[in-house]
Amino acid sequence: MIRSAVEIAGVTKAFGKGPNTFYALRGVDFRVDPGELVMIVGPSGSGKTTLLSIMGCVLSPTAGSVHLFGERVSGRPESELPRLRLSYIGFVFQGHNLISSLTAAENVAFPLQMRGASVREARREAEGLLERVGMDDKRDALPSDMSGGQRQRVAIARAVAGSPPLILADEPTASLDAQTGVLVSDLLRELAVERGHTVVVVTHDNRIFHLADRVVHIEDGQILRSAA
Amino acid sequence: MDQARQSIAPDLSKRLRAHKQSAPLKVRRSPLLRWRTMARVALRMMLHDKLKMAGTLAGVVFAVVLANQQVGTFLGLLHKNTMFIDNAGADVWVVPPATPQLQFGEPMQDSVLMRARVEPNVAWAEPLLYGGANLKRMDGGSQPVTLVGTRDPHKVGGPWNLVAGDVDNLRMPDTVIFEDAERAKFGGINLGSVRELSGRKVRVGGFTWGLLPFGPSYAFADYELAREVLRTDSDQLSFVLIKVQPDVDPSSVARSLQLRIPEAKVLTRDQFKASTIEYVLTSTAIGVTLGSSALFGLIVGFTVVALMMFSSVLDNLREFGTLKAVGATTWDLSKLLLIQAISYALVGTLIGLALVGQLSEAIRSPQLALVLPPALYGATAVVMTLLCIFASLASIFRLRKLEPAMVFR
Repeated sequence: MIRSAVEIAGVTKAFGKGPNTFYALRGVDFRVDPGELVMIVGPSGSGKTTLLSIMGCVLSPTAGSVHLFGERVSGRPESELPRLRLSYIGFVFQGHNLISSLTAAENVAFPLQMRGASVREARREAEGLLERVGMDDKRDALPSDMSGGQRQRVAIARAVAGSPPLILADEPTASLDAQTGVLVSDLLRELAVERGHTVVVVTHDNRIFHLADRVVHIEDGQILRSAA
Repeated sequence: MDQARQSIAPDLSKRLRAHKQSAPLKVRRSPLLRWRTMARVALRMMLHDKLKMAGTLAGVVFAVVLANQQVGTFLGLLHKNTMFIDNAGADVWVVPPATPQLQFGEPMQDSVLMRARVEPNVAWAEPLLYGGANLKRMDGGSQPVTLVGTRDPHKVGGPWNLVAGDVDNLRMPDTVIFEDAERAKFGGINLGSVRELSGRKVRVGGFTWGLLPFGPSYAFADYELAREVLRTDSDQLSFVLIKVQPDVDPSSVARSLQLRIPEAKVLTRDQFKASTIEYVLTSTAIGVTLGSSALFGLIVGFTVVALMMFSSVLDNLREFGTLKAVGATTWDLSKLLLIQAISYALVGTLIGLALVGQLSEAIRSPQLALVLPPALYGATAVVMTLLCIFASLASIFRLRKLEPAMVFR
């Protein structure tokens, strides 16, 4: 039996207490196979980003279980979560979230160094990845000297640096124009294919649905349907 | 890249053939490497926001300059009161009872000197006259001086920091060496000028620089001349100054002498200095006044650094959240802030001390010279480092509460 990349069972996430309790997720069951590219879609406030946050070990579920590649990550003490994130996950954020004071190469090298790579090793891999995403001429540029699309390419390079098995992307095209958004999504897909990453993308952007192996619809904190 | 894109088919089957990443990445625990990584990010963040860096450094520099200027002034004032003890050349002092500091007092009988000289381990014991005299000006007014009379000015109680004349001039009849900075107050005197000192004609034989205690400036004369000016009986003296034999502990000699001379107070040089400093601190408001100014400087510096660092954290909250999301722990972010705090402290201290050094030279005068010992530089670096670390605590507490999930909002 193939071990799931992500396995979420009966996950509920509640915010607030008492009568003000808001349920962002209500008993969600969700599974992603290794190597799969899944897009989670739904209206604003449907719970898709909450689901992504729980998968990314940056938010703990109120109830239910979460496994990444067979390892239970829910219910773990908060002190263990950074290690789990480093071990399993690369993030692509909506607003690229590059560190403004670091160059492109330093941004990409950061998670590698956090995993224990030497400065030289991290720098070498970062430069290779920047070349791969077509940003080798911007390796020493600060994010402020790049266009939105360029920043998102660097962010993708940072996410795949070190080849974490799972890439989580939150609205990666939201701050980009249509053409750039498609190019960046293409790039994410290419890298995922080449390097064997499992990818989960939260998006509103129906122009990139065709890149997904599966599209999961979520609404009111519940998964409505999942279509290949 | 386009070629690479074209070479990849979008179908699932091909992707499934590709190697799938499924094992967790190994995270090597290397505290040193973590520190280095966070240090690099910390310094880059500091340098990136130059305005905030300048503001924070200004806070540190302000604290360093104000605190050191006040402490330097305080030490300078203490030095004024203890410089004679430092330069008199004695290991042990015999002073009249109830003498808390170097001051004029009731003279002692010279039998004290005889008893001091017979004490074992005493290399030499010499009398010193120390009292107030008035120099009559040409315009009819007068100016007080602290007259020191010594038998051997090269050995004990002689003048130092001479800017004109020579110590040996004191061997010439009726010669006195005065303080250069007081020449105007003395009514304009020069080498060879003849004036009246407490009714006795004296000739100016030299000038010292900066020998200005809290009281009247020092003037130096031969012992017998000073006796005449101060009108001291021939069997009386102000102090006995003692040099102990080499490799002998002055405090043991002082204890023995105290038993031999119970009617006087016997103190080592260090004890006499400490007693003088204690007297200044307890009988004047200098310590409180200058100390509170120094504390004010530190409080302002602390506040500026704390606010600037906190403001910087708030401005970059999303970036800190990102660092947490990609694997940095709260402790890693604390390291980042600690490195920034220490960097601000050290750079600010260097700039501040350089400014204090310049300031010290600029305001240096016989009346006041800042005393900035090397230990004060070291203490400043330590105090400012601790201050900046404490100032960063509010920012560290803020980052502790930062949830990495905020990067998805």
